[in-house]
Amino acid sequence: MDWNKFSKVFANCEINGNKILIKSGLHDVIRFIVDNYSYDVLKEIIAVHNQDDKIELIYHLYSSVDEEDLLISIFTDNEIESIIDIFKSAEADEKEIFDLFGIKFSGHDNLKRLYMPENWEGHPLRKDYVQDDTRLSRNDNNDNA
Amino acid sequence: MTTTTTLKLNLGPQHPSTHGVLRLLLELDGEKILSCEPDIGYLHRGMEKMAEKMSYIRYLPTVDRIDYLAGFFYSELLCRIVEKALEVELPQKVRAIRVMLLELNRISSHLLWIGAFLMDLGATSPFFYAFREREMILRYFEKLTGQRMMYNYFVFGGVRRDIDYLEDVDEILSILLSKLKDYENLIEKNPIFIRRVVNKGVLEKETALNYSITGVNLRSSGADFDTRFQDSLYSGFDIGKVILKEKDSMARYRARILEIKESMKIVRQALDYLKKSPALEQKLINPVNMKLPEGDYFADIEAPRGIASCFVRSYGEKEPYRLKWRTGSYYSVNLLRKLLVGEYLNDAIAIAGSLDIILPEVDK
Repeated sequence: MDWNKFSKVFANCEINGNKILIKSGLHDVIRFIVDNYSYDVLKEIIAVHNQDDKIELIYHLYSSVDEEDLLISIFTDNEIESIIDIFKSAEADEKEIFDLFGIKFSGHDNLKRLYMPENWEGHPLRKDYVQDDTRLSRNDNNDNA
Repeated sequence: MTTTTTLKLNLGPQHPSTHGVLRLLLELDGEKILSCEPDIGYLHRGMEKMAEKMSYIRYLPTVDRIDYLAGFFYSELLCRIVEKALEVELPQKVRAIRVMLLELNRISSHLLWIGAFLMDLGATSPFFYAFREREMILRYFEKLTGQRMMYNYFVFGGVRRDIDYLEDVDEILSILLSKLKDYENLIEKNPIFIRRVVNKGVLEKETALNYSITGVNLRSSGADFDTRFQDSLYSGFDIGKVILKEKDSMARYRARILEIKESMKIVRQALDYLKKSPALEQKLINPVNMKLPEGDYFADIEAPRGIASCFVRSYGEKEPYRLKWRTGSYYSVNLLRKLLVGEYLNDAIAIAGSLDIILPEVDK
C-alpha cells in the first residue's frame, strides 16, 4: 500500500514505513481511516513513556481483508480523546493505559484501577515511578502488617 | 406500595468455574442479566514491568507463566523478537521442532478447555477423559523438556536440546484420533448439552472484530482469520482452515474439536520430517551481554486463545526499554460486557466458558 497518500490527507504527519506519526486530532484520523480503508481491527494500543517525558501511544490497526498492519502514533502529556465509539476493544486498552501510565481518556466514563489496588499511588510503568516496598504493608489495615 | 429494584450479584472471584480468579459484577432483573462488569487483576504479576529490569535471557524462563496452558507460544514470541532484531535465520529442523511442539501445545490447551467447559455445564466425566488425553502430551513434554507446563525449551536462535522420543508422538496421535470419536459420541448428541449451547452466546462477526476477538472464537463466527497462513515459521506446512458459520457456543465447541484434528495433521507433517532429518545443527545466539539494536520490534503468533503478540522498544541496552504483551483472553473478558447482557444467569457461566478465558493471560 502507498502510505504516502496519508500525508496529503493529514496535515503535519510523518510517515515511516507503515507507521504514521500524527500531531493532533487522533479521533478524526482513526475515524477517517476506518471509514475509507479496510482497517477493521484494533489489535492493541501500546503506550511507551519516552525519554523526553512524553507518553507515546501507538494504535495498532489491522485489516482482516488485506492482512496489513498500520500503526498510528501520537504523543501526549496526560489527556487524549477516547476512541471507544469506533473500536469497542479500546475500552480494555484505555483502562490498562490509565492504570499503568496515568493517561486520562476523555469520553471514557469507566476509568478506574485495573491491575493495581484502588488506593495505589502512582502508575508503575512510567519511568518516573518510584518503587516503594513499604507501601503494601502501610496500606494494609491488618494488625499483622 | 411495592418497589422493584435490581439485584447486584458477585460472580467470583472464588467461583470454581471462573477458571482462575475472574470476578463478574452482574446486575440482575429476576434471572435476566441487565449489565455485566468484569473485574480483573487478581493475578497481576507485573510481567511488563519485570521485563524492564531484566536481561532477555533472564526474562525468558518467566514468559511461559503468562499463559500456563500454552507456554511454548510465549517463549516463541520472545525468541522471535530477538531473532528478528539480530536477523537470525532458523534452520529447517528447528522450525519443524517448534511447529510440532506448538501444535501439540495447542491440542493440550484445547483438550483442557473441552474438559473445563463441559464441567461448567455440569458434566463431570468428560473432564477426566480430556485430562487423560492431555496427560499423554504433558508426559511427552516432561520427557523432552523436564517440565510439564513451564518448558523454557525454546532459546534464542534454536531449541535447548535436540528433539527425542518421537515414537511417543506417534502413539499420542493414534490414541487421540480414536478418543476424539468417543468425545463426539459422548458429548455432541447429548440433549442437555445441545440445549445449553445451541443458539446461546451468539457472536456476530462484525461485533467480534470490533471487540478485537481473534482466534477460534472469531473463526467460529464465520471469519477467515488465521495468522498462521502468513507466519514464516509455518511456511511449507499444509494447514487446514476451520471456519464455522453458526456463531454460538456450539460452534465454538465444534471449532475447537476440528482444530485439534487439523493440528494433529500439522504435527504429523512435522513428525514425518523430523524422523528423517539428521542430528540437530544450530547456531545459538550468545545471550550473555546480548543487546538488541535500537528500534521497535513486533512479533505475533496464532495462540490457542487468539492472536498473542509482543512489542519491544530497545535503545540498544541489555534490557528492553518497554515490552508489551497482547493476549487474546484479555479482549474476550471485555466482550463479556456485551455478550452476557440479555442472557439468563444460568447461561452466564456457559457463555463465559465457551470463550476460553484464562486469567493469568488476562492479568499478565
